[in-house]
Amino acid sequence: MSRPTPASRPRLARGCRISEQAGQESTLLMPEGAMRLNPPGLKILRQCDGQHTFAEIVSTLQGEFGAAAPDRVAEDTAVFLERLQERRVVDYE
Amino acid sequence: MTGPLALIAELTHRCPLHCVYCSNPLQMTARAGELTTAQWSEVFRQAASLGVIQADFTGGEPLARADLMDVAAAARQAGLYINLITSGIGLNEDRLQKLVAAGVDHIQLSFQDVNEAGADEIAGARAHAHKLALAKRIRQHNVAFTINVVVHRQNLARLPQMIALAEELQADKLEIANVQYYGWALENRAALLPSERQLSESLAMIKAAQERLKGRMRIDFVVPDYYGKYPKPCMGGWGRKLMLINPTGEAMPCHAAGVIPGMRFENITNKPLRWIWEESEAFQRFRGEGWMPEPCRSCERRSQDFGGCRCQALLLAGDAAATDPACSLAPCHDVVAAAVAQANAVPVMAGDEAARPAMQPHWVYRPNPQ
Repeated sequence: MSRPTPASRPRLARGCRISEQAGQESTLLMPEGAMRLNPPGLKILRQCDGQHTFAEIVSTLQGEFGAAAPDRVAEDTAVFLERLQERRVVDYE
Repeated sequence: MTGPLALIAELTHRCPLHCVYCSNPLQMTARAGELTTAQWSEVFRQAASLGVIQADFTGGEPLARADLMDVAAAARQAGLYINLITSGIGLNEDRLQKLVAAGVDHIQLSFQDVNEAGADEIAGARAHAHKLALAKRIRQHNVAFTINVVVHRQNLARLPQMIALAEELQADKLEIANVQYYGWALENRAALLPSERQLSESLAMIKAAQERLKGRMRIDFVVPDYYGKYPKPCMGGWGRKLMLINPTGEAMPCHAAGVIPGMRFENITNKPLRWIWEESEAFQRFRGEGWMPEPCRSCERRSQDFGGCRCQALLLAGDAAATDPACSLAPCHDVVAAAVAQANAVPVMAGDEAARPAMQPHWVYRPNPQ
């Protein structure tokens, strides 16, 4: 249920936002606390706007971080979103 | 040294409710002694530079401050994530809109019970109907929404209805916390401490609801530490993760620390926040493991629970540097065991019995400071 399908349009849940302050690591802020974001994580969450589909997000990620191992990128992205959905940080449209 | 992650901003002690388990100190601050908007802004700036990520707006009732919107805007300006912990009294649609626009990220609305009579009895005020209407409005806004319910002997029987209410109001999270016995709650402990059977039944219900609602609504459950084998890691360890600023600007390691004799709290109007966190006597006093007595000092759990709660040690063992009496290994554990035995010796009132005036608890209500 919480794993995205290719057509899922993930978006950040209410009360969750990305903090990008100059000179600091990007952070995902949420009711439960905060999570530091690595570059792929930031790239995924920036596209979690309820517009981009999971398939589109994976495609962007593959282009930028994982041309050599596209399946691995798709799997990692799905797991990342699944975990965030279980924590109610991401919802699917 | 790492800085605190969250700043608990006790904006005021004023409150329209009079809850019998209020965590505020028995001696409260009047309006005239409260920090100004500008002083809070300065606190948030310093806190953010110390590494604080979240600000918890609490009280008293934060909405009792007419300048709450400006206080929120200042915290957001400083880069903080804002949790508003509120009874909802004093919040209408107009003010809700303005607070969200000012940067409140997450609203935690308290309920005292699921039925009006029970809720209003605990709160010492008529508040329940307003909260129900308000919850529906909050859900229309772009904020995270948590429902907080404090549970105890008198309302644990209605746990299933509490879960159903939170579902109906479409909360993102339901936080069900057993009363912690300090301040006003300690005064009312005999009427509040649940029985062992109430606790075990509630644990099973919570587990089933967590499974059923996974991915839809989170449920957090805080057990009463009187029933634990080991103490709770109070505040995540003294001077380790959290800093509380009380309405007058005193920086405290926890909200109840004022009960500990000889504690001297620095005021943020006199000293930099960083110095208070890193150097002040109050934050050093029980930080780390140097202060620990046996059996904590050689206990393998000392880095997990940090010896438990210092305020509870003072209140129940008469010594803030003692092992938390909630711990089954503590020399003073018998005081907690006696309270638990008492709670299980007296039957829990239900139905008709609870409605008989002679059986009602005699509550000590928290007053509202001027």
